[in-house]
Amino acid sequence: MGRRGRFDQRGEIAIISTRQAHFAPRLSRFLALCCLALGCLALAACDAPQSALAGAGRESAEVASFFWVMLAAAALVWLAVMGVAVLGVFRPPARVTERAARWLIVGGGVVFPTIVLAGLLYWGLGLLAERNTAEADLRITVQGERWWWRVTYERPRVPADDDPQRGRASSAIARVVSANEIRLPAGEPVEFVLHAQNVIHSFWIPSVAGKMDMIPGRETRLVATATRPGVYGGVCAEFCGTAHALMRFAVVVEPKEAFETWLRAQAAPARKPLASAGARGADLFVSSGCGACHRVRGLIEAGEVGPDLTHLASRRTLAAGIAPMTGEALVRWIRSPQSMKPGALMPAYAMLPPDEIDAIAGFLLGLE
Amino acid sequence: MAAMSGDPQDDPELRRAQEKRLSEVWAQPQGWRYWTAVNNSEVGLWYTATSFGFMFFAGVLGLIIRAQLAVPDAGLVSAETYNQVFTLHGTAMMFLFAVPIFEAVAILLLPAILGARDLPFPRLSAFGYWCFLIGGLFVTGSIFFDAAPSGGWFMYPPLTTKYGGIGADIWLLGLSFIEVASIAAAVELIVGVLKCRPPGMHLNLTPLYGWYVLIVGGMILFAFPPLIAGDFLFEMERAFDWPFFDPTRGGDPLLWQHLFWIFGHPEVYIIFLPSIALLAMMVPTFAKRPVAGYSFIVLSAIGTGFLGFGLWVHHMYTTGLPAVSLGFFSAASEAVAIPTGIQIFVFIATLMLGRVERSVPMLWSMGALAIFVAGGLTGVMLAIAPFDFQAHDSYFVVAHLHYTLFGGMMFPLIAGIYYYYPIATGKMLSRRLGIWSFWLLFVGFNVTFLPMHLSGLLGMPRRVFTYPADIGLDGLNMLSSAGAAIAALGFLVFAWDVLRPKGEADAAERNPWNAGTVEWQLEMPPAPWGARSVPKIESRYPLWDDADHLRNYDEGRFYLPDAEEMQRETIVTSVLDAEPIQCLRVPGPAIVTIVAAFLLGAVFILATFELYAATIAAGIGALAAILYWTWTGTALHPEKPAKDIGLGVTVPLYLSGPRSTGWWAMFITMLGDLTAFVGLPFGYFFFWTIHENFPPADAAGPGWVWPLVAGLLLLGAWTATWSARLLNGRGRVAAMRLSLAIGMASASAGIAALAAGPWWHGMDPTAHVYPAIVWALVLWTSLHVAVGVIMQAYCLAGSVTGKLTPRYDMDMWNVSLYWHFMAFTVLVTVLVIGGFPLVA
Amino acid sequence: MSTGAKEELRRTSGSGTDLWNVVQPPTIWAVHFLISYLAAAILCARADRTAPLDPVFWTVMTATAVALMLIALVVLRLWRVEKFSTVDEDLEFERNTPEERHRFLAHVSLMLSVLSAVGVLYVAMPVLLIDTCR
Repeated sequence: MGRRGRFDQRGEIAIISTRQAHFAPRLSRFLALCCLALGCLALAACDAPQSALAGAGRESAEVASFFWVMLAAAALVWLAVMGVAVLGVFRPPARVTERAARWLIVGGGVVFPTIVLAGLLYWGLGLLAERNTAEADLRITVQGERWWWRVTYERPRVPADDDPQRGRASSAIARVVSANEIRLPAGEPVEFVLHAQNVIHSFWIPSVAGKMDMIPGRETRLVATATRPGVYGGVCAEFCGTAHALMRFAVVVEPKEAFETWLRAQAAPARKPLASAGARGADLFVSSGCGACHRVRGLIEAGEVGPDLTHLASRRTLAAGIAPMTGEALVRWIRSPQSMKPGALMPAYAMLPPDEIDAIAGFLLGLE
Repeated sequence: MAAMSGDPQDDPELRRAQEKRLSEVWAQPQGWRYWTAVNNSEVGLWYTATSFGFMFFAGVLGLIIRAQLAVPDAGLVSAETYNQVFTLHGTAMMFLFAVPIFEAVAILLLPAILGARDLPFPRLSAFGYWCFLIGGLFVTGSIFFDAAPSGGWFMYPPLTTKYGGIGADIWLLGLSFIEVASIAAAVELIVGVLKCRPPGMHLNLTPLYGWYVLIVGGMILFAFPPLIAGDFLFEMERAFDWPFFDPTRGGDPLLWQHLFWIFGHPEVYIIFLPSIALLAMMVPTFAKRPVAGYSFIVLSAIGTGFLGFGLWVHHMYTTGLPAVSLGFFSAASEAVAIPTGIQIFVFIATLMLGRVERSVPMLWSMGALAIFVAGGLTGVMLAIAPFDFQAHDSYFVVAHLHYTLFGGMMFPLIAGIYYYYPIATGKMLSRRLGIWSFWLLFVGFNVTFLPMHLSGLLGMPRRVFTYPADIGLDGLNMLSSAGAAIAALGFLVFAWDVLRPKGEADAAERNPWNAGTVEWQLEMPPAPWGARSVPKIESRYPLWDDADHLRNYDEGRFYLPDAEEMQRETIVTSVLDAEPIQCLRVPGPAIVTIVAAFLLGAVFILATFELYAATIAAGIGALAAILYWTWTGTALHPEKPAKDIGLGVTVPLYLSGPRSTGWWAMFITMLGDLTAFVGLPFGYFFFWTIHENFPPADAAGPGWVWPLVAGLLLLGAWTATWSARLLNGRGRVAAMRLSLAIGMASASAGIAALAAGPWWHGMDPTAHVYPAIVWALVLWTSLHVAVGVIMQAYCLAGSVTGKLTPRYDMDMWNVSLYWHFMAFTVLVTVLVIGGFPLVA
Repeated sequence: MSTGAKEELRRTSGSGTDLWNVVQPPTIWAVHFLISYLAAAILCARADRTAPLDPVFWTVMTATAVALMLIALVVLRLWRVEKFSTVDEDLEFERNTPEERHRFLAHVSLMLSVLSAVGVLYVAMPVLLIDTCR
């Protein structure tokens, strides 16, 4: 391939220097290759955990199929336009009349786009009109912080309906505070209410739905329905300062029953550590001042500044989606958060003896 | 027009003497004084070279970005540095390359394309260039002090108001300064196209480049001012804590987004249209026939110019605005694809009809087409809001914008450089290197940016300094980085071709591409005089249609073949049909423009560092320099009233009022100024829509009495200034001076009265956005009125010293025009701050 | 000069189609666009998310009707200019006379009217499909 390519290029120069360039066919060949490569990648893409083409939600699936149609149409238009242009460069002269050329301009430049774009616009506006109209029983308030996510689950309207299972589940929880991970019941529309404290962020779970900005002083809303259980990635999409790239979260979509079970567990306060090691960790957590920023419900209720840690160990990731929830990562994070997330606002606790950090980490990993 | 018996131009001796005089008059200064040159050929060249310099700098930043992102979790640069790097990459590419390169190329080429000797305000071009250089170096240099802006090139508050560091101030003030230069260039170019076309060049014969420049100039006039208004509010918040964008005190971060994108989207077309204009000049040349569908191009350029202003919210689809609002912008965004497409089909039709010569510029043009059409198609997708919810702020958008900018700007521009290089330097670029750099850049570009569409859809947000390894982005990013290296190589080959020393072998013959438009009448290498004689135009392609054109041109048988009075002269014509109406004397080299630019630069730079005393001192210095410049260099009295410019035409040497270039320049400048001003009442009513009670029920207002008094006084000052012009025109000089003096007194009192309202009612601009926006309106209007008072004083001084007479009254006309705009500004300010609270 | 002759001169070369007139149709589009946008923005900034858009619907529909009518008037006026001087199928406008320039600007303005009308219709579409402030 390499030799062939080099040969071609040399041949190319020789040809062009005799003023008989054949650059256009090469161009289309090259682009065809690119398209092919892109196609292969696209197939792989559907499995990526953060892919907007994965179609794990009603909204993203709609947009994904819309995209594939647009892509196909765009590819056809591109090929047609470039084909005509290349023909214009290479075709023998004097078969096209002025009149035909004017029809090309009017037909290709005015009539065709006017009709096609009107159709596209109509379709797009239809999708837009349906957006955010589904009735949602579950409300998840997410607030963008620097650089993590404050998450609150609520059932604003306890349905007095005929489904006892659902009624119980709903009334069982009033308000559950969590952080940096979002669980969604498959098949149920969820209303996200989005806020920001300091700067603008944007809340994006590509596999489930499009993004929505979180703007200080404003409240934005997004209704999304996750459909396919699995673990997906979410990110902050609006540049929000130093650690913008490290503001992520995991999204777990699970069947409705599993979700309700999980939500009830999350609503409960933290269990008192059983082992003495865990108790020491809890004491150190308090005495080292962690509680000034972090709340662990049932143990220390003061902190509002940092993420709620009540059920920290039930989350899949640490520090807003940037590390797995392991003891090793947790120790590193406590010792030096800035080494994992530049600009992180949590102070470093490197001055604590290693065994104390281990104990605190041990305690935290017990908070399931 | 062919040689008639008794035509003095038959005499070769005379022609040689004329050429000697012209050479002498238009010669460049030597030695260090070279930098005081103001000829468009020099300033345009510096401008182009400087823009490309900034482009290479920003390109290196782009390569740093690609190097950092080549592998996941890389640590080549720190997060903070990366954020400065990408911010400066975008900022420099947009503000220091993409927009200025339009001005640069237009200043360089427009006079040649119009067959004119120079632009109407050469010193203004030079002034704009020096402003651009100073501002650009200031903004880009900041990265070497780790002080570069780091909030992204669109600077969204509150990130940039609360946390920006000095970088945000550098961005705001440095770029405001450059925006001033852009507007100066726009004024120059619009007047150039409207008033400096050669005799006989009716609007329907104007080269398409001229049409594009006219339209883009107009767009700059309406697009940049909202950003200037935004910058004004932004800097008041950063420096003095006026809470325009702070939601805790009634402000709203979205106001900035509106103002920024009202500028930002038209800017895309401001960048794109001038490059398409280059294609419109090249395609007919290489198709060896007139462009097929001239009127279609004009239609689509004007259409794009308008529709381009109805798209700004498509950058804000995800801010939670009502769906129906998004719908309107979605519709306009789709509609703009129609005129854009028409231009492409006109080029294709021209190629189909012609017999295409395959040249390097044509190769780059075809590459441009391939890339731009792809970028346009993804643009059509992004205009659909639900798709944009996914793609917005992801690498899909990064890919899209680079496709439109490379296809719509970079490739046509390089094509244009290959095409027009002889006009700038008298040399040709290498065919071999041109083909090499094309293929390297074309392949490199596509390998870099095509995969980014997919990385974006795989969930890669833009502006990330790193990404995790396990989500399918590794291979795509590695591919992009490899492509960037190839593209960089292509740029290097191109740069080498442009910069390499060139010998006799590279010398261009005259009209090397056998083009039909008048810029190719230039001698090779080009002579300093710009045009040996200013042609009389009879068709769109005079070099094709008139076999005698070159001979008539060379033998000085057209207009202005001589410089008898040893003055730089060019012809001013009427707007629609280009009838000669004036022989305009244009100024030569000057150092005062450089001094003025440096002092004005000092104002902005010192303000960045909050050295306000020094800022004010520099401001006074800049004002003095500008006054000295206008006093010594403009509205000079000619030694005779009229002059024979050849072909039996005699035109006046001095014009004032709506027929003069100066009046048009003032009119156009003030149109831009008015647009900026409108940004402030827009802000006021924006806050009114988002708040239940605005003005807040319990807040102190300026009352209605003081605004009313101010309004009456200031409208009185306007009437007095207008009367002064009329009185002067009737020769009643004493009454005119009295009227001006009354105007000055009334205006000064008006400023005091305007400030008195908010002042006596104790409105604290840091407390809430309501007093802040009222003060902003008062401040803006007061500063403008103060400038108006200086202008009145200038006219008074002119009248007393004899510079301004009933016959030579250009200054009075222009100042009076300024005050017409002031009257409107004052009226709006007074009605908004004093009147609206009564009805709200 | 008689009024008729003056009128004739104005028609052949006059100011009926200077640059200000050329930009009339797109200006109509711009005003229509602004009215539509502002109506929705002002209504929805104050109203609830589920508020019906009826006032906006009627505003946009009225504005659309008026805009299309105004564009039609421009077309009617231009059509007379164009028809008056159209020679054969010559749409190149290459001659160097004020009449040709006049005809050329009329033609550009005519085509801009078509584009502006399309733009107006596009911008009217959202209110047909979207009925609340959501």
